[in-house]
Amino acid sequence: MGPLIPNGVIPYEWNSIIAIIIGIAFGFVLEASGFSSSRKLAGVFYGYDFAVLKVFFTAALVALIGILYMDYLGYIDMSKLYVHPTYLWGAIIGGAVMGIGFVAGGFCPGTSLCAVAIGKIDAIIYVIGIMIGVFIFSELYILFQPIYEGYFEGNITLMDSLGVNRYWFVFIFTIIAIIAFIVSDIIRKKQKKIFY
Amino acid sequence: MKIDNQKNRHVYWNPYFGGFLLGIIILFTFYMTGRGLGASGAMKSSVVAIVDTVTPEHAEANAYYSKFIKDNESPMNTWLVFEALGVLIGAFISGGLSGRIGWRTQHSPKITSKRRLAFALGGGILFGLGAQIARGCTSGAALSGMAVLSTGGFITMLAIFGTGYLVAYFFRKNWI
Amino acid sequence: MVNRKLAKLSKFRYAVLAAILLILSAGLVLLPKYEKHEGINPEELLSNAISPERYITSDQLANRIINQDPSLLLIDVRTAEHYNNYSLLNAINIPLKNLLDEESKAYLYQDAYDIVLYSNDNFYADQAWVLCNRLEYKNLYVLKGGINNWFNTIINPPKPTENMPAEDFELFSNRKAASMFFGVAYPEQAKKKPVEVKKVIPKKIIPVKKKKKMPVEGGC
Repeated sequence: MGPLIPNGVIPYEWNSIIAIIIGIAFGFVLEASGFSSSRKLAGVFYGYDFAVLKVFFTAALVALIGILYMDYLGYIDMSKLYVHPTYLWGAIIGGAVMGIGFVAGGFCPGTSLCAVAIGKIDAIIYVIGIMIGVFIFSELYILFQPIYEGYFEGNITLMDSLGVNRYWFVFIFTIIAIIAFIVSDIIRKKQKKIFY
Repeated sequence: MKIDNQKNRHVYWNPYFGGFLLGIIILFTFYMTGRGLGASGAMKSSVVAIVDTVTPEHAEANAYYSKFIKDNESPMNTWLVFEALGVLIGAFISGGLSGRIGWRTQHSPKITSKRRLAFALGGGILFGLGAQIARGCTSGAALSGMAVLSTGGFITMLAIFGTGYLVAYFFRKNWI
Repeated sequence: MVNRKLAKLSKFRYAVLAAILLILSAGLVLLPKYEKHEGINPEELLSNAISPERYITSDQLANRIINQDPSLLLIDVRTAEHYNNYSLLNAINIPLKNLLDEESKAYLYQDAYDIVLYSNDNFYADQAWVLCNRLEYKNLYVLKGGINNWFNTIINPPKPTENMPAEDFELFSNRKAASMFFGVAYPEQAKKKPVEVKKVIPKKIIPVKKKKKMPVEGGC
């Protein structure tokens, strides 16, 4: 069964068409959830709007639980899915740099594309910035190569690195997420409202 | 209807509803293609394509660009570029339906738009750099990685938001 | 009235949603352990096992070796000792006990070659065949009668007696020619001229890692 395209159920030529359809849905949902507004996005760091946290965690949970159920019922082969590779320090340093970029620029690449689509000038500048960033990285690739290629741990999952049962992990993760939702609502009530 | 739109410009979906749909989309993406979503990959492809057209020799010689250059294919012919095109279309439809389309720079009333644009540029550069080091951005590494319980995805997510909270204080004037 | 009820309900809507999420994830924990079927099911295995096509006779094999069939991959499942003592040309030694090693998998799990398993007789080769079948390896054959039969037919073919049909004589001459290829010298031939044993370049078999139909890539 699934994933359909790598297993040859759907011919490979459909890949690009499906990509556009998925992209449209992705863009629509992101925009409709308010991710085209940088001030809404940045709100998560200042406690006046937790949309990012809520959308992000809900999406991850729904996808995670859905994949596990589909794997269990045999509709999808989880071992065939692409697991983001773990380059330990690459992930930490890259994540830290992205974190600063996120707070400074107020977007992440996906949301900036949404904002570009509705004509936000700051988003257009931001996308240009990302491209400059990629350009700098490529030009100085030799400098970054040790981090980029070093500390490779393989395409591991949390199950391999923590040694816990994945179902238990998802259960605990769900509880953490729900607690985070409740706490975020409490914090937001204490913050003064900001209109944007 | 027009007045209604004007009023509702900044009324967005319930975040849980949006998150639920986003989760379904990720699930569908994994079911169809076996891979997750992404966004910065499209920008990387664009950069590679631009460099490859301007100075092919340089792109060939550079260890990073050459990874993404195939002989008979444009570097733009990747899944993520098509997906990013879709994102643009989808966001345009959604923005159009709720009347959010228009040239604007959004910023806190306390700062000028020039300052906002400068910070956007700087933030973009940092994010582009970071996304390459970590091999993915919030959607590619963190969100899609988390959906398959990838350790790297979780580390990236924690690093992004952890650092975000750490440095948020220094940028507060931009937002609040 | 309805509105008020709805309002009352919607007050709890987040609690309800959270409960649904919790129940779903708890359901994952509580699901009965489910063993995934690794390999093929018994019915399929049986139908493979009774299929006559899984055997290759020594004559067919000799023919393919002489013609230097590039798609042939010989696997000797006997012990290394036996293998060093005598084995077929270009055979790879994977003793039965090492069959499931990662290294052996690289040889066995591929589409490019027809794999011929053999041991001294059918016995170990058949066991290896069943195991490989369970693992869904493809293109597997067993040398009928194993090395013993190979000796009796190819290396040392029985001379047909006069009253046998003509096919047997033909078979014998084929086998004799084959045995010469494998280095057996016959006195009457040796007189004429030294048999020109073709130098067979040992075939390099590169174990290929099994590739998926389309490698899933990702990254952003």
